[in-house]
Amino acid sequence: MKRWRVGAAAALAIAAAPVWACGDGLGPGAQRIESAQWLLVVRATPAPIPVGKHFVLDIELCPRAGATLPAELRVDAQMPEHKHGMNYKPSLTSPRPGLYRAEGLMFHMPGRWELQFELRNPKAAPQRLVQSLQIG
Amino acid sequence: MKRALLAGLLVLLLGSARAEPLVSPLSNDDIPRILAFGPWPPPPVRDPSNRVSGQPAAVAWGAALFADTRLARGQTLACASCHQPRRGFSDGRPVAQGLERGMRNTGSLMNVGQQRWFGWDGANDNLWAQSLRPLLDPGEMGGSLASVAAAVREHADLRDGYGRVFGVAPGSDDERVAVDVAKALAAYQETLVSARTPFDEFRDALQRGDRTGIAAYPLPAQRGLALFIGRGRCYVCHGGPSFSNGEFHDIGVPFFVAKGKVDAGRFAGIAALKASRYNLLGNFNDDATRASAISTRHVVQEHRHFGEFKVPSLRSLAATDPYMHNGSQRTLREVLRHYSELDENRLHADGESILVPLRLTPGETDDLLAFLDSLNPAR
Repeated sequence: MKRWRVGAAAALAIAAAPVWACGDGLGPGAQRIESAQWLLVVRATPAPIPVGKHFVLDIELCPRAGATLPAELRVDAQMPEHKHGMNYKPSLTSPRPGLYRAEGLMFHMPGRWELQFELRNPKAAPQRLVQSLQIG
Repeated sequence: MKRALLAGLLVLLLGSARAEPLVSPLSNDDIPRILAFGPWPPPPVRDPSNRVSGQPAAVAWGAALFADTRLARGQTLACASCHQPRRGFSDGRPVAQGLERGMRNTGSLMNVGQQRWFGWDGANDNLWAQSLRPLLDPGEMGGSLASVAAAVREHADLRDGYGRVFGVAPGSDDERVAVDVAKALAAYQETLVSARTPFDEFRDALQRGDRTGIAAYPLPAQRGLALFIGRGRCYVCHGGPSFSNGEFHDIGVPFFVAKGKVDAGRFAGIAALKASRYNLLGNFNDDATRASAISTRHVVQEHRHFGEFKVPSLRSLAATDPYMHNGSQRTLREVLRHYSELDENRLHADGESILVPLRLTPGETDDLLAFLDSLNPAR
């Protein structure tokens, strides 16, 4: 398995955190990204994210009513105005369903970045959650 | 509140130490960006991948090895032959001249310990591997693992130096001895830190709110700085205390080195890095945690890296002409003309899209040169 893809299907028997408690364990400074189906809470370390230094994202993904955890979560980032992304491919680990740690990210330039979280399931179009950040 | 106060110092009181009031071209919004270019010097480097990093004995032996020709084939060249101290640890040539003519400009070693990637293509992720490379390159110093190790074993002063640094006599493992030689060379190069500059004095005065210190920074340099962090957007890549983000970009400098031959730059550098026995994921990394290998573990090769070269530091440029990865620009004025008249057709379609011709006026060029000159130690 590629290191940056984390399969969660095998562990779906363990329930993800309820939406009302989503991200409670991530500590202060966590940000929420919401859609009709998902609540994603993400906390960066160090914060604020510095230019040109690696940082870590701790992520909790919580499905809203009717949704289930995706089989795979991918994390990436882009600079829309610059039309390029990072020079590094983050690696993801998942200590339990719905909880992830992404390492190896780096914003190598100041400016507006978009953190992208792609939720993937077999035979379904990926869903994307995006957080816009001003760096530096 | 503090930033507003500092801005007030910039705009209203800049000329207070002069005969006539002067108005700074810098604004409130510029202050965080200016402060991000410091402080200087940075804290001393301690490389966890090099067990003798920061050790005085290693620094001293590394300095001696740096000037020693006995490590090279034919014993005619030393590291210092190309990395000449009086030239900012570069050589003044467009491209390097070792045992053979190279294809890239000899990079300065000033502040090399601050870097994440080494060489114009970043083919190494640590300074000792980068120091080993020219020793073994047939076109540079032309040695081998065996010849470097043999030189250390055979010459009493080198054997003693090795023992002082590593606590044992050089063993029979050629590769281990040669890598240790490179680690001593790295320990020395980590100490090559450029002196403080007029810009650093200005930047720190701004942070302190020191009106006299702020006013001492010449207006042409301030106008150049305003361009650098404003319309020119130079700071986007040339950011941080080293004035480099340490990464790689295509700025439209040709990468054809001869008929039918190209310098693939970062694209090939990543491939070489991943294949190297001496990268931070390998057995020669003295950092057992491998935490120092995080960049190597996560860097990826993409097509857009073709023809990208490392963003050089802008500190102490006065001694390191000519410029660019291929030494194609003789002066900083020529470098600025390159950016002013940038040929967008040379840029990658999937590369950095904020690069546009700056169309600098003669006065703006002079101001940027004044700013760049302020990044040299005071003469």
